[in-house]
Amino acid sequence: MSAETRRATRRLAGSPSQVIDRSRPLTFTWQGRPYTAYEGDTIASALAAAGVETFSRSFKYHRRRGLLCVSGDCPNCLVRAGDEPNVRACRTRVEAGMDVRAQNAWPSLDTDVMSLTQLASRFLPPGFYYKTFTRPRALWPFYEGVLRRAAGLGAVDPDAAPARFDHKVYEHADVLVAGGGPAGMRAALAAAGAGARVLLLEEQDALGGHLRYSGGDVNGQPAHEAARALAAEVRAHPNVTVMLDTLVIGAYDHGWFGAVQGKRLLKVRATAAVVAAGAHEQPLVFANNDLPGIMLASGVARLLHLWGVLPGRRAVVVSANPRGLQLARDLLQAGCAVTVAEMRATPEAALVEALRAGRVELLTGATVLQASGSKRVESVTLTLPGGETRVIPCDLLVLATGYLPANGLLNHAGAKPVWNAALNEFVPAGLRAGMFAAGEINGTHALAPIEREGTLAGLQAARFAGYGGDATENEIARLSAEVAAAQAQRAPWTPAQTLAPEQKKDFVCFCEDVTQADVRMTIEEGYDSMELLKRYSTISMGPCQGKMCNMAAMRLCAHHNRLSIGETGTTTARPPTRPVSLGVLGGRLLEPVRYTPLHDWHRAHGAILMNAGQWQRPEHYGDPLAEVRAVRAAVGLIDVSTLGKLLLEGSQVPDLLERIYTNRWRRLARGRVRYGLMVNEEGVVMDDGVTARLDDDRYYLTATTGGAGAVYEWIEWWLQSGWQLDARVVDVTELYAAMNLAGPYAREVLAAVASDLDLRDETFPYLGVRRGTVAGAPATLMRIGFTGELSYEIHVPAGYGLHVWQALMDAGAQYGIRPFGVEAQRILRLEKGHIIVGQDTDGLTNPFEAGMAWVVKTDKLDFLGRRALLMSDEQGHSKRLVGFTITGGALPEEGNQIVRPGAGPTGLEIIGRITSVRYSPTLDRVIGLCWLPVEMAMPGRTFTVRARGELLSGEVVATPFYDPEEVRLRG
Amino acid sequence: MILLACPNCGPRNASEFRYGGEARPRPDLNAVSPEEWSDYVYMRANLLGVLREWWYHRAGCGLWFIAERHTKTHEVTATYVWTGEHV
Repeated sequence: MSAETRRATRRLAGSPSQVIDRSRPLTFTWQGRPYTAYEGDTIASALAAAGVETFSRSFKYHRRRGLLCVSGDCPNCLVRAGDEPNVRACRTRVEAGMDVRAQNAWPSLDTDVMSLTQLASRFLPPGFYYKTFTRPRALWPFYEGVLRRAAGLGAVDPDAAPARFDHKVYEHADVLVAGGGPAGMRAALAAAGAGARVLLLEEQDALGGHLRYSGGDVNGQPAHEAARALAAEVRAHPNVTVMLDTLVIGAYDHGWFGAVQGKRLLKVRATAAVVAAGAHEQPLVFANNDLPGIMLASGVARLLHLWGVLPGRRAVVVSANPRGLQLARDLLQAGCAVTVAEMRATPEAALVEALRAGRVELLTGATVLQASGSKRVESVTLTLPGGETRVIPCDLLVLATGYLPANGLLNHAGAKPVWNAALNEFVPAGLRAGMFAAGEINGTHALAPIEREGTLAGLQAARFAGYGGDATENEIARLSAEVAAAQAQRAPWTPAQTLAPEQKKDFVCFCEDVTQADVRMTIEEGYDSMELLKRYSTISMGPCQGKMCNMAAMRLCAHHNRLSIGETGTTTARPPTRPVSLGVLGGRLLEPVRYTPLHDWHRAHGAILMNAGQWQRPEHYGDPLAEVRAVRAAVGLIDVSTLGKLLLEGSQVPDLLERIYTNRWRRLARGRVRYGLMVNEEGVVMDDGVTARLDDDRYYLTATTGGAGAVYEWIEWWLQSGWQLDARVVDVTELYAAMNLAGPYAREVLAAVASDLDLRDETFPYLGVRRGTVAGAPATLMRIGFTGELSYEIHVPAGYGLHVWQALMDAGAQYGIRPFGVEAQRILRLEKGHIIVGQDTDGLTNPFEAGMAWVVKTDKLDFLGRRALLMSDEQGHSKRLVGFTITGGALPEEGNQIVRPGAGPTGLEIIGRITSVRYSPTLDRVIGLCWLPVEMAMPGRTFTVRARGELLSGEVVATPFYDPEEVRLRG
Repeated sequence: MILLACPNCGPRNASEFRYGGEARPRPDLNAVSPEEWSDYVYMRANLLGVLREWWYHRAGCGLWFIAERHTKTHEVTATYVWTGEHV
């Protein structure tokens, strides 16, 4: 049989409610074979039209599963489309060339060997994993591998190209309406009419809700036409924005909502919200209720009216409300043989009459006992009033058997649903202020009351958001009374009983293959509350998240505990309302990358770049050791523009500095620079840097590249929250390019391009700051030396940075100048024994332990952390940061442990660690910094380093390693 | 995501702000016992109810201000510039 003839078997003639364009056929593949669809088809509708009945294999027993809800709720039609696993076939438009495959079946969907597990089902009770695979414990990794292959949903293909997700979008509205059915549309129109800006989000690709596929007439007009007319009115309203294919997935604090539109995450802030999310139709529980061909009425109605697909030729419709009877009529009209099992004693007379006129057999008071069939449903056994049973052959069993309100969003916002015993449904209660519910979510299923509730909720939401006046208030009062009166008289559309007597293979939960017996055994084992029942049996924990099973589980839990359903209660719904791809939540990477003004020069000169926080910095330009030698023997230039730069102004800046730094600042003279160390109130080292006094009331502070933001916020906090100081701080980090010219020839190179600076040591000494002109640019120069050589840190306006850098490089050419990067700087500073905050220190390091007591003046009246440091000094210190060298030439790694013989599986006790280590080309040996117990922290003491695969011998060395007399620095 | 009304800029998403912790007085460090000082540095009230707390408008005007927020409901009853009474 060709694909064409297969397709022809189940597709009906065109009708105005359909959404497919028969003039635009397309071809896709299912399980590697070609199928034809029309534009507008979903994967599911196209396959159903072609006669496909088995879409997946179930989670535990690998039973055949076919279309059930056709609404995106149930797990049955999850497939793989291209690279993407777990695609809901019923909610995904089919595309030309799409490669669609079944999941969780091996070797094929039709012959799945794992289905043999159902023969052993009595050995697979709830809690089976917990009980069986725990002993011996050592075998768990093996068990886990086997179980993961056997169970699970689709697999992620690690070789697939990364999916592209969209940027997140932010929307604002006075009133958010979740759901574009008749209630949501009426709410949107009412709120917009009162003047509110309305955002209407609808999950489907058209407005209209159930009217699009319900069949029947509305005031003499076909329902789908009424839906289109109302939708046109909504779209024409200037205050309403409609977004389709958009599902609201969560309600959060202060009117914040999350929604997913395709591969885009939407974040909405709305003053008020109307939740008109509808209801999930519920299946009955009976033996073999999972056979392909057993479908919810709303699913059949969608296939029939939207895509013109008739999924069977001989239908039994089980009906508990007028929608079942309406669908029976529509099936009959489409050429299907129909038998109706009406669960109610007194169905709607007009519908009954119409069915009887079509010679439909209608059995009132009937319910389903079991279904039979091998690959699909072949017959159904009904229980009739009086207890007799009757078997009816069929290839389609339709369940119009009640509703579960889609109240997830309300519950996210704190609502607690209450059981309404007249409706046999939970109805919303305890809604958050500004949140309103309308329509089927309230247990209201007839059209006129749905629309009235929508209008009321829309007006209430607009009023909450500050729109409308007395007239609106009066209208709200009038409608509230009408709604209350109508709600009191509602007939139940959900039957009181949905469970047949317990049998084999009567599934409560389709996602996890949990039967009535499983639920009973779980309760018998003591897991008798809904929350425990859920966790132990895994019911409601699969892809449907309880939408198909929660109600039945509650009924069973109530039954076995001999409680009412109201007393049993429900589980807590949490976002998202539907499974969402993590990629959607992640969106696109928006981490900014920061470049210095000299970035292009670095790239053009062979720099190997590295990340330093958000910044990109040159790690080196090809040969870091040569860069070190150039600085020691001649001259080098490094880009330090990433330093944090703060301008401090005010008469009390010295007081500020006294409090944020551990050392003294009051007597810092104009034109001088001082090193400062910052600790927090716990006495832990936060940051370090230098501060220069530029003028009487003007200071320039530099912070580390990584600490710049935190230091700025820290200073702002103390200035704004406690200290009444005449001091102001401005972050000027990005306004200035900064470079450090270092080496014995630094003075000569700078002199060649500086026009108004006297660089002699007497006039510009070590730790001096001067303003001057460098290569024509206004500059601030500080004579400081992280590298240990004569050096000038030159700050110029960012726009001059490249020019000044180039001028220095040109002037230095005759002296052998080299640009140097972060790596050379790390070696140079290590040779001088300078720490890097955050590398040599951690979140517990105090300055005494770090060997920086010289910069802590606890006799100052107050500074942040003083009290903590005094206390820690009293208590004594147990560890110390010291310099070391390694005997022999081996180079350990940063992070390597320092050990000594001791107890434990390795026979070694960890007593310290290496924080910095490098080969020093200047000293021709390995040098580093490490933490050691205080009693070992003395020069000459040896210790053992556990390096990768070997033990090395280290020796404590006094720092600085290089030029301890600082002759070169001050030269 | 909660909304916070910055006293300068008006209501903004919480993601624009940095949380600064409970607002509480800094003791006179020359007068307190080591235990009181440890309490100040390490211990927090962690109360269920309306908490006065610091927030910093990092992606905005740079103001550190006080918000009174209910720690369970997230209802923010007031935000204001600190005037000197508790630090």
